[in-house]
Amino acid sequence: MAKEKVLLVDDELEFTQVLSERMKARGVDVDTAASGHEALEKVKGRSYDAIILDFSMPEMDGIETLRHLVEDNPDLQVILLTGYATLEKGIEAIKLGAMDFLEKPAEIQKLMEKIQQAKANKMLLVEQQMEEKIKGILETKSW
Amino acid sequence: MSGRPHLRACREELAFFGKIGADVTHEMRNVLSIVGENAGLLDDQLALAENGKPLDHEKLKQLSARITRQVARGTRIMERFSRFAHAADEEAASSDMTAITETVAAMAQRHVVLAGCRLEADLPDEAIHVTANPFSLQHAVFSAIELILDSLENGQVVTIKLAGRGAAAVMSVSGSVTGGGELSGRISRLSAVINELEGSVETSRENGVLSLTLTIPAG
Repeated sequence: MAKEKVLLVDDELEFTQVLSERMKARGVDVDTAASGHEALEKVKGRSYDAIILDFSMPEMDGIETLRHLVEDNPDLQVILLTGYATLEKGIEAIKLGAMDFLEKPAEIQKLMEKIQQAKANKMLLVEQQMEEKIKGILETKSW
Repeated sequence: MSGRPHLRACREELAFFGKIGADVTHEMRNVLSIVGENAGLLDDQLALAENGKPLDHEKLKQLSARITRQVARGTRIMERFSRFAHAADEEAASSDMTAITETVAAMAQRHVVLAGCRLEADLPDEAIHVTANPFSLQHAVFSAIELILDSLENGQVVTIKLAGRGAAAVMSVSGSVTGGGELSGRISRLSAVINELEGSVETSRENGVLSLTLTIPAG
Protein backbone atom coordinates (compact mmCIF):
# COMPACT_ATOMS: atom_id res chain seq x y z
CA MET A 1 0.00 0.00 0.00
CA ALA A 2 1.28 3.49 -0.86
CA LYS A 3 2.72 5.53 1.99
CA GLU A 4 0.52 8.19 3.53
CA LYS A 5 1.65 11.67 2.47
CA VAL A 6 1.49 14.18 5.29
CA LEU A 7 2.32 17.87 5.65
CA LEU A 8 3.21 18.87 9.22
CA VAL A 9 2.74 22.59 9.91
CA ASP A 10 4.13 24.15 13.11
CA ASP A 11 6.43 27.09 13.88
CA GLU A 12 8.21 25.03 16.59
CA LEU A 13 10.99 23.60 14.44
CA GLU A 14 12.24 21.13 17.04
CA PHE A 15 8.72 19.74 17.33
CA THR A 16 8.24 19.24 13.58
CA GLN A 17 11.72 17.75 13.29
CA VAL A 18 11.22 15.07 15.93
CA LEU A 19 7.59 14.29 15.07
CA SER A 20 8.44 13.92 11.38
CA GLU A 21 11.25 11.50 12.33
CA ARG A 22 8.80 9.36 14.29
CA MET A 23 6.24 9.42 11.50
CA LYS A 24 8.87 8.52 8.86
CA ALA A 25 9.94 5.57 11.02
CA ARG A 26 6.28 4.41 10.76
CA GLY A 27 6.33 4.57 6.98
CA VAL A 28 4.77 8.01 6.48
CA ASP A 29 6.07 10.35 3.77
CA VAL A 30 6.38 13.67 5.67
CA ASP A 31 6.96 17.25 4.56
CA THR A 32 7.15 20.12 7.04
CA ALA A 33 6.23 23.80 6.95
CA ALA A 34 7.07 26.43 9.59
CA SER A 35 4.18 28.78 8.81
CA GLY A 36 0.73 29.06 7.31
CA HIS A 37 2.18 30.83 4.24
CA GLU A 38 4.71 28.04 3.70
CA ALA A 39 1.94 25.44 4.05
CA LEU A 40 -0.16 27.14 1.36
CA GLU A 41 2.83 27.09 -1.01
CA LYS A 42 3.58 23.42 -0.36
CA VAL A 43 -0.02 22.38 -0.94
CA LYS A 44 0.09 24.00 -4.40
CA GLY A 45 2.96 21.74 -5.38
CA ARG A 46 1.91 18.42 -3.89
CA SER A 47 -1.15 16.36 -3.00
CA TYR A 48 -1.30 15.33 0.67
CA ASP A 49 -3.43 12.71 2.40
CA ALA A 50 -3.43 14.77 5.62
CA ILE A 51 -2.29 18.15 6.92
CA ILE A 52 -1.37 18.29 10.63
CA LEU A 53 -1.76 21.98 11.48
CA ASP A 54 -0.79 23.80 14.67
CA PHE A 55 -3.41 26.18 15.99
CA SER A 56 -1.13 28.92 17.27
CA MET A 57 1.39 30.32 14.77
CA PRO A 58 2.77 33.81 14.04
CA GLU A 59 1.22 36.04 11.35
CA MET A 60 -1.29 33.49 10.02
CA ASP A 61 -2.70 31.25 12.74
CA GLY A 62 -4.07 27.73 12.28
CA ILE A 63 -7.67 28.81 11.77
CA GLU A 64 -6.74 31.39 9.12
CA THR A 65 -4.47 28.84 7.40
CA LEU A 66 -7.27 26.26 7.49
CA ARG A 67 -9.64 28.75 5.91
CA HIS A 68 -7.27 29.36 2.98
CA LEU A 69 -6.40 25.66 2.62
CA VAL A 70 -9.99 24.41 2.29
CA GLU A 71 -11.02 27.38 0.12
CA ASP A 72 -8.61 26.22 -2.59
CA ASN A 73 -8.77 22.49 -1.80
CA PRO A 74 -12.13 21.49 -0.30
CA ASP A 75 -11.14 17.79 -0.22
CA LEU A 76 -8.08 18.40 1.99
CA GLN A 77 -8.10 16.47 5.26
CA VAL A 78 -6.83 18.83 7.97
CA ILE A 79 -6.18 17.82 11.56
CA LEU A 80 -5.68 20.77 13.94
CA LEU A 81 -3.29 20.47 16.89
CA THR A 82 -4.09 22.78 19.77
CA GLY A 83 -2.45 23.45 23.10
CA TYR A 84 -5.80 24.18 24.69
CA ALA A 85 -8.75 22.32 23.25
CA THR A 86 -12.11 23.91 23.92
CA LEU A 87 -15.49 22.95 22.53
CA GLU A 88 -15.76 26.36 20.85
CA LYS A 89 -12.41 25.95 19.10
CA GLY A 90 -13.32 22.45 17.99
CA ILE A 91 -16.69 23.52 16.60
CA GLU A 92 -15.12 26.48 14.79
CA ALA A 93 -12.47 24.21 13.23
CA ILE A 94 -14.97 21.57 12.09
CA LYS A 95 -17.34 24.22 10.69
CA LEU A 96 -14.44 25.62 8.67
CA GLY A 97 -13.75 22.19 7.23
CA ALA A 98 -11.20 20.51 9.52
CA MET A 99 -11.44 16.74 9.71
CA ASP A 100 -10.61 16.65 13.42
CA PHE A 101 -8.64 18.35 16.18
CA LEU A 102 -6.28 16.98 18.82
CA GLU A 103 -4.78 18.43 21.96
CA LYS A 104 -0.99 18.73 22.21
CA PRO A 105 0.91 16.66 23.15
CA ALA A 106 -0.84 14.03 21.04
CA GLU A 107 0.05 10.34 21.30
CA ILE A 108 1.75 9.09 18.15
CA GLN A 109 -0.63 6.12 17.92
CA LYS A 110 -3.68 8.40 17.96
CA LEU A 111 -2.09 10.68 15.38
CA MET A 112 -1.33 7.72 13.11
CA GLU A 113 -4.95 6.54 13.39
CA LYS A 114 -6.17 10.01 12.38
CA ILE A 115 -3.76 10.06 9.42
CA GLN A 116 -5.01 6.68 8.23
CA GLN A 117 -8.58 7.88 8.61
CA ALA A 118 -7.71 11.01 6.60
CA LYS A 119 -6.28 8.88 3.79
CA ALA A 120 -9.39 6.70 3.75
CA ASN A 121 -11.62 9.81 3.65
CA LYS A 122 -9.63 11.21 0.76
CA MET A 123 -9.77 7.95 -1.21
CA LEU A 124 -13.53 7.85 -0.72
CA LEU A 125 -13.86 11.42 -1.99
CA VAL A 126 -11.70 10.63 -5.03
CA GLU A 127 -13.85 7.55 -5.77
CA GLN A 128 -17.04 9.59 -5.50
CA GLN A 129 -15.64 12.23 -7.84
CA MET A 130 -14.68 9.51 -10.35
CA GLU A 131 -18.17 8.03 -10.17
CA GLU A 132 -19.72 11.46 -10.78
CA LYS A 133 -17.43 12.00 -13.74
CA ILE A 134 -18.24 8.61 -15.28
CA LYS A 135 -21.95 9.20 -14.70
CA GLY A 136 -21.64 12.55 -16.43
CA ILE A 137 -19.89 11.02 -19.42
CA LEU A 138 -22.47 8.24 -19.69
CA GLU A 139 -25.30 10.78 -19.54
CA THR A 140 -23.80 12.95 -22.30
CA LYS A 141 -23.43 9.89 -24.47
CA SER A 142 -26.96 8.74 -23.52
CA TRP A 143 -25.64 5.25 -22.67
CA MET B 1 -10.14 53.44 46.86
CA SER B 2 -13.54 51.77 46.52
CA GLY B 3 -16.41 51.25 44.10
CA ARG B 4 -16.52 50.46 40.39
CA PRO B 5 -13.09 51.87 39.33
CA HIS B 6 -11.40 49.73 41.99
CA LEU B 7 -13.34 46.64 40.92
CA ARG B 8 -12.46 47.30 37.30
CA ALA B 9 -8.77 47.72 38.20
CA CYS B 10 -8.83 44.41 40.09
CA ARG B 11 -10.45 42.64 37.13
CA GLU B 12 -7.87 44.08 34.75
CA GLU B 13 -5.03 42.86 36.96
CA LEU B 14 -6.64 39.44 37.15
CA ALA B 15 -7.06 39.38 33.36
CA PHE B 16 -3.37 40.31 33.02
CA PHE B 17 -2.35 37.47 35.35
CA GLY B 18 -4.60 35.07 33.42
CA LYS B 19 -3.14 36.14 30.09
CA ILE B 20 0.43 35.55 31.26
CA GLY B 21 -0.59 32.25 32.87
CA ALA B 22 -2.16 31.09 29.60
CA ASP B 23 1.00 32.10 27.70
CA VAL B 24 3.18 30.11 30.08
CA THR B 25 0.99 26.99 29.80
CA HIS B 26 1.15 27.26 26.02
CA GLU B 27 4.94 27.52 26.04
CA MET B 28 5.28 24.66 28.51
CA ARG B 29 3.02 22.46 26.38
CA ASN B 30 5.41 23.03 23.49
CA VAL B 31 8.37 22.10 25.69
CA LEU B 32 6.61 18.97 26.97
CA SER B 33 5.50 17.99 23.46
CA ILE B 34 9.09 18.11 22.23
CA VAL B 35 10.37 16.21 25.27
CA GLY B 36 7.59 13.65 24.80
CA GLU B 37 8.33 13.12 21.13
CA ASN B 38 12.07 12.75 21.81
CA ALA B 39 11.31 10.24 24.57
CA GLY B 40 9.08 8.42 22.07
CA LEU B 41 11.92 8.38 19.55
CA LEU B 42 14.13 6.90 22.27
CA ASP B 43 11.51 4.18 22.78
CA ASP B 44 11.50 3.56 19.03
CA GLN B 45 15.32 3.15 19.06
CA LEU B 46 15.14 0.73 21.99
CA ALA B 47 12.41 -1.29 20.28
CA LEU B 48 14.64 -1.59 17.21
CA ALA B 49 17.56 -2.67 19.43
CA GLU B 50 15.39 -5.37 21.00
CA ASN B 51 14.71 -6.63 17.48
CA GLY B 52 18.41 -6.97 16.79
CA LYS B 53 19.34 -3.60 15.30
CA PRO B 54 22.52 -2.21 16.99
CA LEU B 55 22.00 0.90 19.10
CA ASP B 56 22.91 4.11 17.28
CA HIS B 57 24.99 5.91 19.92
CA GLU B 58 25.15 9.15 17.95
CA LYS B 59 21.39 9.16 17.70
CA LEU B 60 21.04 8.56 21.44
CA LYS B 61 23.43 11.44 22.17
CA GLN B 62 21.38 13.66 19.86
CA LEU B 63 18.14 12.72 21.64
CA SER B 64 19.70 13.28 25.04
CA ALA B 65 20.97 16.72 23.97
CA ARG B 66 17.52 17.69 22.64
CA ILE B 67 15.81 16.66 25.86
CA THR B 68 18.42 18.53 27.96
CA ARG B 69 17.91 21.64 25.84
CA GLN B 70 14.15 21.58 26.28
CA VAL B 71 14.44 20.98 30.03
CA ALA B 72 16.69 24.06 30.23
CA ARG B 73 14.13 26.03 28.21
CA GLY B 74 11.28 24.87 30.46
CA THR B 75 13.29 25.77 33.56
CA ARG B 76 13.86 29.31 32.24
CA ILE B 77 10.15 29.70 31.49
CA MET B 78 9.14 28.56 34.98
CA GLU B 79 11.79 30.67 36.74
CA ARG B 80 10.52 33.72 34.89
CA PHE B 81 6.90 32.90 35.72
CA SER B 82 7.83 32.35 39.36
CA ARG B 83 9.43 35.86 39.51
CA PHE B 84 6.33 37.25 37.86
CA ALA B 85 3.91 35.49 40.21
CA HIS B 86 5.85 36.34 43.37
CA ALA B 87 5.65 40.03 42.50
CA ALA B 88 2.12 39.79 43.93
CA ASP B 89 3.50 38.83 47.38
CA GLU B 90 3.97 42.38 48.61
CA GLU B 91 1.95 45.57 48.42
CA ALA B 92 5.06 47.72 48.17
CA ALA B 93 8.70 46.75 47.80
CA SER B 94 11.95 48.08 46.43
CA SER B 95 11.95 46.77 42.87
CA ASP B 96 14.55 46.83 40.13
CA MET B 97 12.85 48.33 37.04
CA THR B 98 15.60 46.93 34.79
CA ALA B 99 14.89 43.38 35.98
CA ILE B 100 11.12 43.93 35.83
CA THR B 101 11.32 45.26 32.27
CA GLU B 102 13.50 42.31 31.22
CA THR B 103 11.03 39.82 32.71
CA VAL B 104 7.95 41.50 31.23
CA ALA B 105 9.59 41.96 27.81
CA ALA B 106 10.43 38.24 27.78
CA MET B 107 6.84 37.39 28.73
CA ALA B 108 5.44 39.70 26.06
CA GLN B 109 7.65 38.04 23.43
CA ARG B 110 5.05 35.42 22.45
CA HIS B 111 2.45 38.13 21.71
CA VAL B 112 5.00 40.10 19.73
CA VAL B 113 5.96 37.06 17.64
CA LEU B 114 2.33 36.05 17.05
CA ALA B 115 1.67 39.57 15.78
CA GLY B 116 4.51 39.12 13.30
CA CYS B 117 6.54 41.88 14.97
CA ARG B 118 9.86 42.23 16.84
CA LEU B 119 10.71 43.64 20.22
CA GLU B 120 13.92 45.59 20.85
CA ALA B 121 14.84 46.60 24.39
CA ASP B 122 17.52 49.16 25.24
CA LEU B 123 18.04 48.57 28.96
CA PRO B 124 20.76 49.87 31.28
CA ASP B 125 23.36 47.53 32.75
CA GLU B 126 22.63 48.76 36.26
CA ALA B 127 19.54 48.36 38.43
CA ILE B 128 17.06 51.24 38.71
CA HIS B 129 15.25 50.98 42.01
CA VAL B 130 11.73 52.18 42.66
CA THR B 131 9.57 51.50 45.71
CA ALA B 132 6.12 50.56 44.46
CA ASN B 133 3.70 47.66 44.05
CA PRO B 134 5.82 45.18 42.04
CA PHE B 135 2.82 43.51 40.37
CA SER B 136 1.39 46.86 39.28
CA LEU B 137 4.80 47.77 37.82
CA GLN B 138 4.70 44.60 35.70
CA HIS B 139 1.12 45.34 34.69
CA ALA B 140 2.06 48.88 33.62
CA VAL B 141 5.02 47.75 31.51
CA PHE B 142 3.05 44.96 29.83
CA SER B 143 0.05 47.23 29.15
CA ALA B 144 2.31 49.80 27.47
CA ILE B 145 3.94 47.12 25.28
CA GLU B 146 0.55 45.65 24.37
CA LEU B 147 -0.93 49.04 23.52
CA ILE B 148 1.89 49.84 21.07
CA LEU B 149 1.91 46.28 19.67
CA ASP B 150 -1.82 46.39 18.91
CA SER B 151 -1.26 49.57 16.89
CA LEU B 152 1.45 48.04 14.68
CA GLU B 153 1.25 46.13 11.43
CA ASN B 154 3.14 42.93 10.59
CA GLY B 155 6.90 43.30 10.45
CA GLN B 156 7.10 46.36 12.71
CA VAL B 157 9.23 46.80 15.84
CA VAL B 158 8.25 47.62 19.42
CA THR B 159 11.11 49.59 20.98
CA ILE B 160 11.59 49.84 24.75
CA LYS B 161 14.04 52.25 26.34
CA LEU B 162 14.63 52.52 30.07
CA ALA B 163 16.74 55.00 31.97
CA GLY B 164 17.05 56.46 35.45
CA ARG B 165 16.43 60.24 35.51
CA GLY B 166 16.99 61.88 38.85
CA ALA B 167 14.72 60.18 41.36
CA ALA B 168 12.62 58.36 38.77
CA ALA B 169 12.63 55.51 36.27
CA VAL B 170 11.64 56.66 32.79
CA MET B 171 10.56 54.14 30.22
CA SER B 172 9.49 54.79 26.65
CA VAL B 173 7.68 52.23 24.53
CA SER B 174 7.29 53.14 20.87
CA GLY B 175 6.53 51.87 17.40
CA SER B 176 5.75 53.07 13.86
CA VAL B 177 2.02 53.18 13.32
CA THR B 178 0.31 53.80 10.01
CA GLY B 179 -3.34 54.19 10.98
CA GLY B 180 -5.16 56.26 13.53
CA GLY B 181 -7.12 53.91 15.75
CA GLU B 182 -8.95 54.76 18.94
CA LEU B 183 -6.45 54.55 21.75
CA SER B 184 -7.74 57.11 24.25
CA GLY B 185 -9.72 54.51 26.25
CA ARG B 186 -6.71 52.24 26.57
CA ILE B 187 -4.36 55.10 27.37
CA SER B 188 -6.68 56.28 30.16
CA ARG B 189 -6.69 52.72 31.60
CA LEU B 190 -2.88 52.65 31.43
CA SER B 191 -2.85 56.07 33.13
CA ALA B 192 -5.01 54.67 35.93
CA VAL B 193 -2.42 51.92 36.52
CA ILE B 194 0.45 54.42 36.46
CA ASN B 195 -1.42 56.82 38.78
CA GLU B 196 -1.67 53.99 41.34
CA LEU B 197 2.15 53.96 41.20
CA GLU B 198 2.14 57.77 41.68
CA GLY B 199 3.69 58.05 38.23
CA SER B 200 2.65 59.58 34.91
CA VAL B 201 2.29 58.60 31.26
CA GLU B 202 2.71 60.87 28.26
CA THR B 203 1.76 60.10 24.70
CA SER B 204 3.34 61.51 21.59
CA ARG B 205 2.93 60.83 17.88
CA GLU B 206 5.66 62.23 15.63
CA ASN B 207 6.64 61.23 12.09
CA GLY B 208 4.42 58.18 12.33
CA VAL B 209 5.99 56.98 15.59
CA LEU B 210 3.69 56.52 18.56
CA SER B 211 5.47 56.75 21.92
CA LEU B 212 4.35 56.17 25.45
CA THR B 213 6.63 57.59 28.16
CA LEU B 214 6.09 56.17 31.63
CA THR B 215 7.66 57.97 34.57
CA ILE B 216 7.74 56.08 37.87
CA PRO B 217 9.12 57.98 40.90
CA ALA B 218 11.68 56.20 43.04
CA GLY B 219 9.25 56.38 45.98
